[in-house]
Amino acid sequence: MSNSTEQPFVLAVPDDDLALLRKKLDLVRFPDELDDAAWSYGVPLADMKRLVSHWVNGYDWRKSEAEINKLPMFTRDIDVHGFGTLNIHYVHQKSEVKNAIPLLFSHGWPGDFLEARKMLPLLTEKSPDHPSFHVVALSLPGFGFSEAPKKPGFAGRQYAEVFNKLMLSLGYNEYVYQGGDWGYILGLHAVTHYGHKHIKAWHTNVPSVGPPKLLSNPLVWLSSWLSSSNNSSQAKHGNARNWRTKGMGYFMEQATQPQTIGYSLTDSPVGLLAWIYEKLVTWTDGYPWTDDEVLEWISIYWFSRSCPAAAGRIYYELTGQNTHDTKAGTKWMSVPLGVSYFPGEIIPTIKAWSSMIGNIVFESEHDKGGHFAAFEQPEKLAGDLWKMYGKGGPAHGVVFGKNGYD
Amino acid sequence: MADTTEQPFTVAVSDTDLELLRKKLDLVRLPDELEGAEWNYGVPLADIKRLVAYWKDSFDWRKAEAGINKLPMFTRDIEVDGHGTLNIHYVHQKSEVKNAIPLLFVHGWPGDFLEVKKVLPILTAKSDEHPSFHVVAISLPGFGFSEAPKKPGFAGRQYAEVFNKLMVALGYNEYVYQGGDWGHILGAHAVTHYGHTNIKAWHSNMPFYRAPKFFSNPLLFLGMLTIPFDTVTKTRLAHSMKWQSKGRGYFIEQATQPQTLGYSLSDSPVGLLAWIYEKLVDWSDKYPWTEDEGRLLEWISIYWFSRSGPAAAGRIYYEMTSQNQHDVLEGTKYSSVPLGASYFPGELVRLPKSWTSMLGNVKFEAEHDKGGHFAAYEQPEKLAGDLRKMFGKGGPAHGVVPGKNGYD
Repeated sequence: MSNSTEQPFVLAVPDDDLALLRKKLDLVRFPDELDDAAWSYGVPLADMKRLVSHWVNGYDWRKSEAEINKLPMFTRDIDVHGFGTLNIHYVHQKSEVKNAIPLLFSHGWPGDFLEARKMLPLLTEKSPDHPSFHVVALSLPGFGFSEAPKKPGFAGRQYAEVFNKLMLSLGYNEYVYQGGDWGYILGLHAVTHYGHKHIKAWHTNVPSVGPPKLLSNPLVWLSSWLSSSNNSSQAKHGNARNWRTKGMGYFMEQATQPQTIGYSLTDSPVGLLAWIYEKLVTWTDGYPWTDDEVLEWISIYWFSRSCPAAAGRIYYELTGQNTHDTKAGTKWMSVPLGVSYFPGEIIPTIKAWSSMIGNIVFESEHDKGGHFAAFEQPEKLAGDLWKMYGKGGPAHGVVFGKNGYD
Repeated sequence: MADTTEQPFTVAVSDTDLELLRKKLDLVRLPDELEGAEWNYGVPLADIKRLVAYWKDSFDWRKAEAGINKLPMFTRDIEVDGHGTLNIHYVHQKSEVKNAIPLLFVHGWPGDFLEVKKVLPILTAKSDEHPSFHVVAISLPGFGFSEAPKKPGFAGRQYAEVFNKLMVALGYNEYVYQGGDWGHILGAHAVTHYGHTNIKAWHSNMPFYRAPKFFSNPLLFLGMLTIPFDTVTKTRLAHSMKWQSKGRGYFIEQATQPQTLGYSLSDSPVGLLAWIYEKLVDWSDKYPWTEDEGRLLEWISIYWFSRSGPAAAGRIYYEMTSQNQHDVLEGTKYSSVPLGASYFPGELVRLPKSWTSMLGNVKFEAEHDKGGHFAAYEQPEKLAGDLRKMFGKGGPAHGVVPGKNGYD
């Protein structure tokens, strides 16, 4: 690739930034808590005190940093129509299998590029029994170590443009896509603009779609109306119900006033920790978080290239400040789609409605795992991609000349 | 009053607390901002930068404290059924008029007891032309310098109990009530439990009620469906919709996860500043905060230095909605206790005036062309003027408190 702006990327948080964080943690002021509150009012005080204490006394950021730097990471400039150039950060792990399938993995909020980490060896390894992938896991603009947009209006079309230009610049004219959370929504936008021509198939672990409208999907509407109440494992699990009834505050605030909450999240490591940790716990399916895992996760936000405030703007831009659905501007596409259902997923999914998302060629249901599926259940999610794209699978060979096997 | 726990109260923030605030302000880390963002994404960066610099370098808390301490303030223990004893803070300013009307003034969120400051001299002044009031301005439990509840479930009934026990303890067995924001909502609860027996009349500057339902108010409901709203009413409804779509994030978060948000508000002065300042600007009627920045930072400082900390205040949203499961008027009933309503154009929820009659027995109404949500602070003369008209000689609520009609 001539004129490539690709640079290897090494994470190196300045000592001053570490010192500032330390000073802030030393000055932490905690609130009180109601008797026996547990998780009823938000993150429990005992959890916060323990995590902050570990952050000060035990957690070693430089060790995390060294491990992260073992990943093959890069940055490059991507031009976005109307938004100038954004310097985008990504992991690019190639398989030794030359004809591995190029796959773009997109995280969401409060996620980051490291959500792909556990799946990387599974997806890139060579095996006669399953296909291999060349994996690109980017930091979304405004997250992790990618630059943030500087102007208002950076929405679905723009994210799709970044994805496609990145993959093309890496030599992947045709590729497949995987994402959950914003990775799902942005997948819809990406497939709308680049489906068939570039995106040959895609997969999501959050196959969410609203109630079918009578006039546009009469048969699906009728069957869901007639079927007994949604008895899925997701409905029984509780995460999704809790999200809708008790867990939408962050969404409303970030969709309407992201700058206001941004001051807290940028200035207070404890505030940022609580804001994100609440979701790490309530959106997963009994995942046994270690304090180190939590603090590394929060640190990516704290030390992000823009600032923690930038990430929340995606809610604002993708909803027009809470005036329209995140899927506005997307179309149903016949690009092959695979979906995986995890019981602890927070965004309600109804299997009978999934065909309204796209051309479902693969479905898989699991008995364990939540919203952060790639992180919580990497073997299950990677296994689904193996089945979807493997020999005999419904999306086998979608990328011409790169079917995942040598 | 025998066995009273009333103590005079002075605000005296410790040097350690002041020092901690200063250290935190020195370490402030600010976010970036989108080009041309202004107020579209939340509080503008330029405002926050300017206010943080002022807070650090110019704002004199001790001076503000001394000013606050000129008010006649007290604390006393109030027992609340099932919640033990709460030590409650209040201003108690008596009029020189012996038969002045006892009035309880209740603030909301992000308000505080100091919202009464400008109306205090007007309400307590003696004159033949207008009635006088003995004013009690409370810090709500969990706000300002009142203790916070320690157990879950402190809601409308409990706040009403605090109000009534406080007024009765002060010797005001019968009194009138004024409030906006939570002061309005809690007024509806207070009148439900203590109307007629103790609360003889009440006034609200945010007189909203639920939309009429067919079975409970068929005529109003039909009116809503069949009669097109006039332009004025449509403007009012459109204004309310703006709050509904763009201004409710704080409500949902505080109603569902107040503790999560509370870590930010307790730990970050700039986070607290932005969270409250957004509403002080958005909800007031172009109040010139830039000319009043000392008062603005005093306002934020009340939250920062509050007795229970900034996180406690937001729990009122949770408790009053049972974590966003029902509306805040749940448990209130229509009462025939005389009600006065003042409509200010900048108020954040502006519903058809005809709906107010479902809230209570409307005996007084006034509409103004200026003023917003913080009416007592923004338009003290207008608000106090309304109370004078409502309770004065010839007014619709004159003499509601026997023996205390406001004149000697």
